[in-house]
Amino acid sequence: MDIQTIDHLCELSKLNFNDEEKQKVMEEMSAIIELMDTVKEIDLTYDDTKDNNSIKYSEVRKDEAKPSYPTEKLLSNTEPQDNCYVVPKMVE
Amino acid sequence: MDINKVSLSGLRKALDNKEISAVELAEEYISKIKTVDPEIEGYITVTEEQALESAKRAQELIDGGDSRPLTGIPLAIKDNICTDGIRTTCASKMLESFVPPYNATVIEKLNEQGYVLLGKSSMDEFAMGGSTQTAAFSKTKNPYDTDRVPGGSSGGSAAIVSAGTAPAALGSDTGGSIRQPSSFCGVTGLKPTYGRVSRYGLIAFASSLDQIGPIANSAEDCGILLNAVAGTDEHDATSARVPVKDFNEKIGQSIAGMKIALPQEFFGESTDEEVKQAVTDAAKEYEKLGATLVDCHMSSLKYAVAAYYLISGAEAASNLSRFDGIKYGLRGEGRSFDEMIRDSRSRGFGAEVKRRILLGNYALSSGYYDAYYRKALALKQQIIKEYNEIYEKADVILTPTAPTVAYRIGEQETDPVKMYLADICTVTVNIASLPAISLPCGYNSDGMPIGMSLVGKRFDEATLIQTADAYQRNFAAVPNKYRA
Repeated sequence: MDIQTIDHLCELSKLNFNDEEKQKVMEEMSAIIELMDTVKEIDLTYDDTKDNNSIKYSEVRKDEAKPSYPTEKLLSNTEPQDNCYVVPKMVE
Repeated sequence: MDINKVSLSGLRKALDNKEISAVELAEEYISKIKTVDPEIEGYITVTEEQALESAKRAQELIDGGDSRPLTGIPLAIKDNICTDGIRTTCASKMLESFVPPYNATVIEKLNEQGYVLLGKSSMDEFAMGGSTQTAAFSKTKNPYDTDRVPGGSSGGSAAIVSAGTAPAALGSDTGGSIRQPSSFCGVTGLKPTYGRVSRYGLIAFASSLDQIGPIANSAEDCGILLNAVAGTDEHDATSARVPVKDFNEKIGQSIAGMKIALPQEFFGESTDEEVKQAVTDAAKEYEKLGATLVDCHMSSLKYAVAAYYLISGAEAASNLSRFDGIKYGLRGEGRSFDEMIRDSRSRGFGAEVKRRILLGNYALSSGYYDAYYRKALALKQQIIKEYNEIYEKADVILTPTAPTVAYRIGEQETDPVKMYLADICTVTVNIASLPAISLPCGYNSDGMPIGMSLVGKRFDEATLIQTADAYQRNFAAVPNKYRA
């Protein structure tokens, strides 16, 4: 685990760390990955035809329109403007 | 009526016989919460006003002769289960002000029975941890010794039941989060088969492993609560199309002839001697009741913790990518979209949640996917295979719930690797989608509870409850000072 890998993971994870935090995270993640490396000791191959928790996707509910939750309730956890979510400008 | 000594069926009788009204019962618990919870910090939010209102409505049902098993029964609900109009935080700064616009299916089912919500219980942030000390607020203490952790992640629910500030609670279990805190706090916790209970409205951590379940004072009480919340749900495609019967139907039936397997690997060096002794003694009790003990092995156990953290981390990284600060949750600052999302997540998530996201993205990233994530999935198949082999010669499996009793706050929860390794006894159950129940089987030399786990075949919760109940009938539980 090096700084480049941590930077890459921060990009994938959308997280920021300052230099001091990054050093600590790198040490912790190195120890964690060392633990994860134990899976490399065993010789097994995943059979992806066998693993869906017995879920029958043919039994999912029909794709029918149904009344949803009221808009004002869904927007109550943010500060909407004109019934819209507000985000920073993305296009200059 | 002494609320410290009653069961859910006892409360039902007292309410139906008008020995106490639903409002009086709710008031008794609210009063106890006000006295005890400042020390235990089991609750994040106490819903006093709503509790009294719903108790009034419950009393009308009781007076009309329409009571159901949980009508007027007060409960605590883990704070990762959405409650319409009531703050649901996941013990995270990210959701500190989040008020869900809908109820989880389990809440709808409890409402149908007219239950009384006492409040939302604390937990490790986003259910990631085994101590409830990763909570951003309400870092719960163990009622048997407030210098010790209650376990986690459902540490709030377990401590609340243990301290008697609710007669039962709902928790959730992704890798042991119902069973381990139940073990640490000396109560009974049931993790149902994956799919038995709808996950709709449970804030997702690892979707292939998460399951909601009860924490209570006995196996029978767990069955009553599971009866209320189990079943197929059109909002959750992973909820099982398996009929729900009475999970308590086998209570009282003899366990003579039952085969109980003890996989040797669960009794290894990492498990405390006192824990091993207590679980072994419990096995002997089962022998006296007519059960046969079966020696067996689970050779892949040493890889289970790594497999669990790779799978759950990968799913957590994906599930938690929804927290961007736009539609709900903590909103950060930034001049661009990317800056704002990064700031929201960096300020909203705590250290353990960030580590799990980083680990998950590492396991899923290009160049590492086959070596880690797919290998973990292969191990999942191997663990299922080994469980199936054990069930060819046994009905249930008996293991310790945790390698140790509850440890002192600050002793190990700051070391992630140590914390992860402590999950060794519980994670394989989630990996294999099995049901399991943890119940107290003794106390160590410091008076801290020791828990044992019974693991069953898929959808055979009734046998687990029967087996746990058979032990509990002769077990003398030692209450903590809040229940004495």
